[in-house]
Amino acid sequence: MFLTIQATFRRNYLVMRHSLPYTSIIGSLLSGFYMILFSYLIYKIMFNGKLDDSFIKYTGSSDYITFAVLGSTVYILSISVLLIVSRSLISELRQGTLETIFLSPASRQGYFLGCMLQGLMLVGIEFIGILVMGFFFGLDITNINPISASITLVLIIFSFYSQALVLGAIMVWFRDTYITQNTLITLMGLISGVSFPIEYLPDWLQYLSKIMPLTFGLVAFRETIMLGGELVSSFESISYLIMLTTCYFLIGKYLLIKVEKNILEKITE
Amino acid sequence: MKNLMTIFMAEFKKSHFLYFHTNMIYFSLLVWPIILFFSAYYSFKPFDTKSENVLSEYVSNQEIGSFLLIGYLGYIFYFSLMQSAFQMAPERARGTLELIFLSPVSRLAVIYGRAMANLLEGVWLFFVFTVLGLFFFGDIQPHNWWGIPLSLFLLIISAVVWGGFLNAIFLFSRDAGFFFLIIQEPLLLFSGVRIPIPVLPIWGKFISYLFPLSYVLLIYREIVMRGASLFEVSTMIYSLLVVIIVFILLTSWIIRKAEKNSKINGSMALY
Repeated sequence: MFLTIQATFRRNYLVMRHSLPYTSIIGSLLSGFYMILFSYLIYKIMFNGKLDDSFIKYTGSSDYITFAVLGSTVYILSISVLLIVSRSLISELRQGTLETIFLSPASRQGYFLGCMLQGLMLVGIEFIGILVMGFFFGLDITNINPISASITLVLIIFSFYSQALVLGAIMVWFRDTYITQNTLITLMGLISGVSFPIEYLPDWLQYLSKIMPLTFGLVAFRETIMLGGELVSSFESISYLIMLTTCYFLIGKYLLIKVEKNILEKITE
Repeated sequence: MKNLMTIFMAEFKKSHFLYFHTNMIYFSLLVWPIILFFSAYYSFKPFDTKSENVLSEYVSNQEIGSFLLIGYLGYIFYFSLMQSAFQMAPERARGTLELIFLSPVSRLAVIYGRAMANLLEGVWLFFVFTVLGLFFFGDIQPHNWWGIPLSLFLLIISAVVWGGFLNAIFLFSRDAGFFFLIIQEPLLLFSGVRIPIPVLPIWGKFISYLFPLSYVLLIYREIVMRGASLFEVSTMIYSLLVVIIVFILLTSWIIRKAEKNSKINGSMALY
């Protein structure tokens, strides 16, 4: 598995060096910028910085800007990780290299991990870039608990990774990226508590939000940064996050085996 | 004129056969905008909407729902045209674009035919959603019914002109996805879809007046939500007409430039 990770990493790194996807980096930075700007405008200018009491009740904090900046940053991170991993297979399919990968005995998880780790080189730049922009709008991380925040971040990234396995299998099955990915991404933006706490949503949407790792990831991440919580204090959301990660991982693995079989059968026909 | 109409209709028909053979289009033109609309609606929830604020001068707190619905209706008209412009890339790759440009057809008729097809077929579903939504929110009593077809007409005309402009830009560049980011997101932010323009800071207002959508939404809301008379919105209608004419001139200039550019650099399929 390690060899596959290394090989995939190296290949994708070479691809990246030869054509740096600068438009996608600028794109993510701009999306983050617009999201933060929107939150800033409605909070500071439209509502004069006045929050409803319910916001403080739901989040335990009155710092809307930090809430919104962290929401946007992790949301953009989730999109990037989801797309890097899930689109890897369908890109191979479009380039005509998928069969070769499926015919080789290389570890499938190694392949995906390699894709993600290499992708994180760019995603990291975007993540830090959006956070830096956040500081200009008033992001406040003085309460941060650095160790818990880092551990939570790693857990969040892996939860997106396992969700991406399921997404990738669906994409290859339906041979579609545009509709599948955008429907999921817009839905996550609504139900996962990116720019408002999910408690404002109707009950049935709140239930739906419980299947998104982003929901729990955001709660835990905000807790460690805004309230300086230990990992224990966000125990509930962390354990949900780990549970969801495991479920998505198993489902994704199962679906990918199915998809692989389906494609190999089509080749032999 | 008859010749122009034939070209227009031919392009209209072609776009119809090409892009509306699947139901998938309803995702991008119905499901996503509905999700986006609700995201915007709930984004206002964390704030204190009970006491006086800058917003309440322009939109009362009960009206936020209908305010956003009208905004998103305008936005979806413009978004459907963004999608039509995106289809320029496959057309370029297949080589049909080159064939069209080899024939002596009017370029503007082709561009506007494409835009019109995508607009009329794409947005009717969301339009139904908006009408239902406005009744659902229940706080809207349009004072002058004549204003609705008028503002809808302005919306369609301005959206087609906007779509023609985008299509022309996409003639120029292959990596048009980038334009999507620098045009579409500011459109959503600054044209009064989610934030009333009078509330924006001065630089934001400046950006907003570059988009025809800003004028349309101002007129639409004045008429439907405030019951303004035609006379009261006439200045805005004139400004909109000026902006539309500027965009048409700009579009035809870009098309000529793009054609010249591809004649110098090689085929349309290549660049």
